[in-house]
Amino acid sequence: MKPTILQVSEVQCQKGGYALFAPVNLTLQPGQLAVIAGNNGSGKTTLMEAIATLGSFSSGKLSFQPDNSTDAWLAESHYLGHALGNKSSLTCLENIHFATQINGEKCNEASMIDALESVGLGGYEYHYASDLSAGQKKRLALSRLLLLNKTYWLLDEPFVNLDATGCDWLFAVICQHISNGGAAILTAHDNKRIHQKADVIISLERP
Amino acid sequence: MRFWVLMKRDVLVSWRKKSNIYQPLVFQLLIVTMFPLGLGAGAQTLQKIAPAVVWILALISTLITLEDIFKDDYEDGSLGLYALSGMPLSLAVLAKAAAHWLTTGVPVILFAPVIAVLLHLPSQSYLILMLSLLIATPIFSLLGTVGSALVMTLKNGGMLLSVLIMPLLAPVLIFGAGAVLETTLGNSATAHLTLLSGCLALSVTLAPLAAAAAIKVNLE
Repeated sequence: MKPTILQVSEVQCQKGGYALFAPVNLTLQPGQLAVIAGNNGSGKTTLMEAIATLGSFSSGKLSFQPDNSTDAWLAESHYLGHALGNKSSLTCLENIHFATQINGEKCNEASMIDALESVGLGGYEYHYASDLSAGQKKRLALSRLLLLNKTYWLLDEPFVNLDATGCDWLFAVICQHISNGGAAILTAHDNKRIHQKADVIISLERP
Repeated sequence: MRFWVLMKRDVLVSWRKKSNIYQPLVFQLLIVTMFPLGLGAGAQTLQKIAPAVVWILALISTLITLEDIFKDDYEDGSLGLYALSGMPLSLAVLAKAAAHWLTTGVPVILFAPVIAVLLHLPSQSYLILMLSLLIATPIFSLLGTVGSALVMTLKNGGMLLSVLIMPLLAPVLIFGAGAVLETTLGNSATAHLTLLSGCLALSVTLAPLAAAAAIKVNLE
């Protein structure tokens, strides 16, 4: 199976009838990292949601080569937004178990516990997600990336709420994912390391 | 497969929250105890209004739980998890409706005899009462998904949801309460139950599509 290549051409998003940013172009294939930069309110999240097909865009075209199938894109991408997708009344383990099952991934308990351990949540398997701190909730959501085996990671502000070691860890994980033939699009307004590492930087500017 | 996964998760979440399950029942009990006090009447008057009251209580107590079906998932982001998982959105809606029915509809059916006793419903009507609720509570949940999907992005969508859904539930109430009324009079309820089943067939087939469309519109 040929890998899907993401093509964003002249895409513009609107909020409340006004265009958020000037048209954006991006071509991304496995092995590349794209960073979306811009000030607060410049439309980073809106663009991210549009690329994840969770939101919509007002003009332009979003296509997934070679056969332009949204299903193929969904099967190969995972979106992690500001709303993390953790259910607060479920335990950490139940949360990631659900996430893997709903994505059709078969995981045994050992691999899920491993994933929790590597995000720094070892020993929290049976804690409710509501009892975690903001940073730990982020880590719980990030643990999905390790289990889901998706090529494209769409991460909206993944470094927010993480402590210094967490940021180092995530940076290393993203670098490894890219070198293993994965791709990632992320938004980060203040992270020099990731900007240097990026193959493509999209700066969102007022139209 | 994914249908079960989503349904199981929702049942578990409701089970952990508990209040989702007993809130409708406590609500019903509180209201029904007011009836004899307010009416100041004997068993005969209560008996006359019993079919309508039991049914309206079942309807309203379910209505107050509908808003959260999609709102919670929208707010914590887990809607994105299944909306982007590649599973058909209408199948996800069906799973949500099934879980809502299991955690709200089933307790309401099982609790109905208690409410009926308090209203002196004649004993020959109990079976039909529960049967009519068995057919109708899935309709509440299914139409509820449509309403919930429409208002999921709103802060206070509960009122709007009620206004949107009530007219659709009116026929269900007419046939359901009608079925129970017929049995209290000693008539057969077959016609009413058949019409009720028709409503169920209609909502099983159409509600998931409508709710999926509403979710898509709201995400744009």
